[in-house]
Amino acid sequence: MSLYSFKKSEAMFQRAAKVIPCGIGGHVSPAVTVPGSFPYYATHGKGCRYWDLDGNEFLDFMCAYGPVVLGYDHPRVNEAAAKQRALGSVFNHPTPLAVELAEKLVSIVPIADWASFARNGSDVTYYALQVARQYTQKTKIIMARGAYHGTHPWSIHSMAGIIPSDYEHILQFTWNNADELRDLCKKHEGDIAGVILTPYHHPAFGDQVLPAPGFYDEVMRLRDQYDFVLISDDVRAGWRLNMGGSCEHFGFKPDLICYCKAIANGYVLSAIVGNDRVKQAASSVFFTGSFFQAAVEMAAALATIDELEKTNAIAHMWKMGELLQNGLRERAEKHGLQVSVTGPPTIPNMTFKNETNFLRMQRFSGEAAKRGVFFHPHHNWFISAAHQPADIEQALGVADECFAIVRQEFGS
Amino acid sequence: MTTDQILARLGLGDTASPLHDRIRARMNLHAVLPRLHELAILDDEARGVAAGLDLRLEMAVLGGPRMGLVFDQGRITASRDARGSLGLLFPSACALNRMFDGEKVVPIPHGSLWKLTQMKGFEKLTTILTRYLKPAATDLADPAFRARHVELSLLVGLSACDAIFALDPKVERVRGALHDATIQYDVGDAVSAFVTIEQGVITAHRGRVANPTAGIRIRDVDLAVDLIAGKVDTFAAVGVCDLKLYGMLPVVDEFNALFDRVGLYLN
Repeated sequence: MSLYSFKKSEAMFQRAAKVIPCGIGGHVSPAVTVPGSFPYYATHGKGCRYWDLDGNEFLDFMCAYGPVVLGYDHPRVNEAAAKQRALGSVFNHPTPLAVELAEKLVSIVPIADWASFARNGSDVTYYALQVARQYTQKTKIIMARGAYHGTHPWSIHSMAGIIPSDYEHILQFTWNNADELRDLCKKHEGDIAGVILTPYHHPAFGDQVLPAPGFYDEVMRLRDQYDFVLISDDVRAGWRLNMGGSCEHFGFKPDLICYCKAIANGYVLSAIVGNDRVKQAASSVFFTGSFFQAAVEMAAALATIDELEKTNAIAHMWKMGELLQNGLRERAEKHGLQVSVTGPPTIPNMTFKNETNFLRMQRFSGEAAKRGVFFHPHHNWFISAAHQPADIEQALGVADECFAIVRQEFGS
Repeated sequence: MTTDQILARLGLGDTASPLHDRIRARMNLHAVLPRLHELAILDDEARGVAAGLDLRLEMAVLGGPRMGLVFDQGRITASRDARGSLGLLFPSACALNRMFDGEKVVPIPHGSLWKLTQMKGFEKLTTILTRYLKPAATDLADPAFRARHVELSLLVGLSACDAIFALDPKVERVRGALHDATIQYDVGDAVSAFVTIEQGVITAHRGRVANPTAGIRIRDVDLAVDLIAGKVDTFAAVGVCDLKLYGMLPVVDEFNALFDRVGLYLN
């Protein structure tokens, strides 16, 4: 087969670099994949596939880094959004859709007594910290080392534009290490406002780590003992593990859950839900933005959630993810390669074992991209409800070729 | 009161200087001065000058950083541990920096003072080194000079990160996160260098290292010259593959947080 080239993407990038800082910034920057082997610009998508500026078709296992949970260009979601767009989206007031969506979330998320809306994950994770601080009248926030909670200065790993006071009240512990968490709580007793955790550990450039048995029991016990607010950052995993929140999947009860990404199948919305304990504090914090009440996105979210429920989409994604995970293990083994396939099947990830510099993974994913399958080299992948067994089989066929290349170049 | 505090009150010693100058002094001693080693390998004239020297020289700031240089049969080795038979002691970091800026500064000599006669050769070497690190446009027209300029500048920049890591308060966050690693830098086929980070100690070396944690490939010497001169949009260069990053990219990000600050001290 002829391999993809990305000439138009690269030409567009050169135009972009003149007028946009970085050309393309953040998590979609060329620098975080393998420049030269991946496209830079997309034009359109359908189902589990999208097309780039050069006309290359990709079988996609990133789903726009998570949001596209039902598949690109989903007719029912688009129809709901279009219907509201015809009426208008942004007014002097919210529309009734805000209430409908809040009621929907409260009805399906067991810990939720209320909901609020914003645009991005960082909006709601930072709001969650404010609510925790307002509720407890305390200062410190504990997070897991290496966890990602958005781009705000309190948690971002980058150093540019960040000053020490931005993160001076943020404490870190090692994921799954309840002893370390307990020690922090004890050391800062009386000043812990909140503990923010992703439901499981999904760092970039690393294997995904599920919660250890008993970990969340201890977290909840510490919450009771030290009276902090427990925040579940479900921005990445939300709507792919359990319709009631990923906390239901792992068996813990946070006070707040942050959602974004998949909540509206690619329409721009984030949400936070919480229990009654922190509702008054949530009311006290001034939380708003120019587009937080935009109605088109809320219509899309209602349609997305309804579709996920009606089609039992998580169960389907789980099966597709298992097919992919098992297939990758088998094909790697066939080539004498050892891979670590981690995470829930709906949010899988793969790395090569005994390798800390990702050279094999970069080669593998770069070759796959040139053959039309998008496996990210350093970030967990996402399954959508649009993936079907034939898509997984196609992906595994390409993976097989790429494993052979890795084996030939690097050995076992 | 400690000795350092007494000296500082007298305006003497390492801690008497502003932090910026203390960091610069460490860079001058630990990152710039050791480049005489590579200079004697890369530059014919320097090699000839070095061949005429027989000297163990130690330069130090009172109560602060030091560096030893051994000139032996045309070979120059630099080590923080090497003791010199001839010592040059600078009363403060500022005084040392002034000398590196080309000002007339008279340090306190000690030890084998008769070796002072060899300082002219040493000064000649530093003049040649300065030519490579602060090149004139006419020199840069020579492709061989450009490659040497890139190699020496790269090694200075990489080595200078150690002083940033140790003292610069702006990198506190990196200080807590920097992993042990090796990062390979290649400029076309012309220049290779790598940096090792081990328990917070950063050292730069010529050549290639096996299985680096991460690496950067710069397209060619011309691009590297422009990079050093600050004329390149590095993000755009990555996008068009003029700069190729590979390996454990967060390590490069962490290290770049140090590397990007070198210019604030060494221009």
